[in-house]
Amino acid sequence: MTDVRFPHMTTAEGATGVLVTWFVDSGDEVTPKTLIAEVAMDKVDAEVYPETSGTISLLVEEGAEVPQGSVIAQVN
Amino acid sequence: MTTAPTGTKQSTTLAVEPEPGRRKLSTAKAMQEAISQRMTRDESVFVMGEDVGPYGGIFSSTTGLIDRFGPERVIDTPISETAFIGLGIGAAVEGMRPVVELMFADFFGVCMDQIYNHMAKIHFESGGNVKVPMVLMTATGGGYSDGAQHSQCLWGTFAHLPGMKVVVPSNPYDAKGLMAAAIDSDDPVVFMFHKGIMGLGWMAKNNRAIGAVPEEEYIVPIGKARVAREGTDVTIVTLSLSVHHSLDVAEKLEAEGISVEVIDLRSLVPLDRDAIVRSVTKTGRLVVVDEDYQSFGLSGEVIAVVAEHDASLLTSVSRVCVPDVPIPYARELESIVLPTPARIEAAVREAVAR
Amino acid sequence: MTLSTTPELTEESRRSLLNTMVLIRTYEEAIRREYYADKMPAFDIGAGLVPGEMHLSAGQEPVAAGICAHLTADDALTATHRPHHVAIAKGVALRPMTAEIFGREDGFGHGRGGHMHLFDPSNHFSCSGIIAEGLPPALGQAFAFKRQGNNRVVVAVTGEGAANQGAFHESLNLAALWKLPVIFVVEDNDWGISVPRAGSTSVTSNAVRAAAYGMPGVRVEDNSVEAVYAAGGEAVARARAGGGPSLIEVHTLRLWGHFEGDAEGYRPELKSVPDHDPIPRYRDELLQAGGLSAEQFQTMQDRAVEQVEDAIQFAKASPAPNPSEHLNYVFSEGVNS
Repeated sequence: MTDVRFPHMTTAEGATGVLVTWFVDSGDEVTPKTLIAEVAMDKVDAEVYPETSGTISLLVEEGAEVPQGSVIAQVN
Repeated sequence: MTTAPTGTKQSTTLAVEPEPGRRKLSTAKAMQEAISQRMTRDESVFVMGEDVGPYGGIFSSTTGLIDRFGPERVIDTPISETAFIGLGIGAAVEGMRPVVELMFADFFGVCMDQIYNHMAKIHFESGGNVKVPMVLMTATGGGYSDGAQHSQCLWGTFAHLPGMKVVVPSNPYDAKGLMAAAIDSDDPVVFMFHKGIMGLGWMAKNNRAIGAVPEEEYIVPIGKARVAREGTDVTIVTLSLSVHHSLDVAEKLEAEGISVEVIDLRSLVPLDRDAIVRSVTKTGRLVVVDEDYQSFGLSGEVIAVVAEHDASLLTSVSRVCVPDVPIPYARELESIVLPTPARIEAAVREAVAR
Repeated sequence: MTLSTTPELTEESRRSLLNTMVLIRTYEEAIRREYYADKMPAFDIGAGLVPGEMHLSAGQEPVAAGICAHLTADDALTATHRPHHVAIAKGVALRPMTAEIFGREDGFGHGRGGHMHLFDPSNHFSCSGIIAEGLPPALGQAFAFKRQGNNRVVVAVTGEGAANQGAFHESLNLAALWKLPVIFVVEDNDWGISVPRAGSTSVTSNAVRAAAYGMPGVRVEDNSVEAVYAAGGEAVARARAGGGPSLIEVHTLRLWGHFEGDAEGYRPELKSVPDHDPIPRYRDELLQAGGLSAEQFQTMQDRAVEQVEDAIQFAKASPAPNPSEHLNYVFSEGVNS
């Protein structure tokens, strides 16, 4: 099992961003080439790809405010 | 003005409307992917416009392209729409395939001569001897309080003037396939994307702006409407963001036993008249939903298509459009003039009550 | 003016410049004759074999001959509503051009374009009837040529009235910004239809407007074909060498009206206009300098008449466009809407 984390988008301690869009659902098969999410912090967007292949479980809702570095999904 | 293309265009036989698969993209990313794939295979394709480079397009139509293709092929322009749209025309005439962005459709006033007197007419005036294979893409639509000069759809204005194809996608799958078809077209194509279908994180959420898109290249043929939802009681003929609202309404009314067919036109020029007639022949009731101004536009044209074919088909006709008023700023006023789900629902209910 | 890049004019090249001017004038006189042939005694603009507006270029031949002497068929030129002189100097074939002016099937546009909308792809020649709006597409042709890595150039012709249009200023800025191989040629014929230059333009020379956009600009004052040739040579050479755009304004002469049927009541110097005709002047210069004989000039004229009358006969013999094909050419695939 590997964690998917909200990317580090700033050097500021404790900064939070928003999970803008999930492009996958829990239970979907993903690979490192699968665009799984788009996140945003201070109007800057970033795409999120998993590091490993497997079945994904989403841990936060779309629109949720999330501290950078925290786990947003898991791949089994 | 050359018959031989200058780029390294290879065989362009693409799949037509393959199965969507499971991978999901936003409409913006689907458009970017179409442009990127065409740029990869055809060196004559380039992108030009205001803030299309490092910014990636104000509405994300070109995000990432400059990283992949560099500033020689993804070109930021001065705020000189007449000059750079005209430049696109001249480059197209000489064998290139420009994708030029007009940031907002509302800005056509500063450059319309290049668009309708040049881009749209050169092929005709030259008796078919000069082609203008150019895409003019532009953002349309309101719903986020951007006021009267940044919220208009205006596709009826472009469609009224002969010589340009006018394409209006509603979802990621169509946006990718229609963009590929637009770039391939030897005719000028105005590609009008509603900001509300792009899947932008900084606008109101719209779940239908995220959808399954094949990774492979494919085209959606320009000029073919799509039956977005089959039904038997009422036909909604619509396009763009209003397709999503209409589908939401159709799903809601299904529970009450009202069966709504939703036709997504996908283009105004060419207009798929057969699809309109076919559906109304089945339902007999027509509701046209159009975020453009009501009078002298698409909605009247759609009704005329049916009336000219067989007026007796129509037991009920109505339209849900922007009444003939500029788009107001205040949220309370804007939401009244736009074709909201509530207005669409009321029109459908009225249609079936007749 | 030091013009190291421009080839010295030989007697032969001087005769060639005059020859181009004579051919243009012969053409315009013949079109004028045909235009009026069946519109009188009461002038009816829509009547006759050549209907519609007709903007003839007599008097402006030095601009066309002097600039186009530096061009090949691979270079491009965009012209205005008054396009015949530059079309002829660029090498556009007279037969299909004339057939188009007559609205015939064998015209460049199969009768869809007319005299303000002539497109000859083999010469990269086009024109636009909208003031200053022919300039932006010229930028695009130059952009394509630059991308294609050749040394082809584009000449964008416009008038002094057009220099007050936004499209003119946007185009100069963008051409200079991107160092495009464009030569902007401003034909100052003193008149924007009926408004004199002084009534429309805040500067006495559009060369200063070129300076405002960071490109070289010159004004040729006396409608001299050799002065235009010299300025054109320098500008074309600069563009070919990758040095970017230039502007040349020529103080030229509108010998006739804005369009045929224009009584020119607004033009106080009307009676003396023919005194400034550039063709007799240049002919006499060459005759006196010994580079031209009276016999050679006669031959020049005879050949011009022969070519022009051939084109007019061709146009008259060409069939009218088929009315049943009136929807053709809107789109390349034949679908209209």
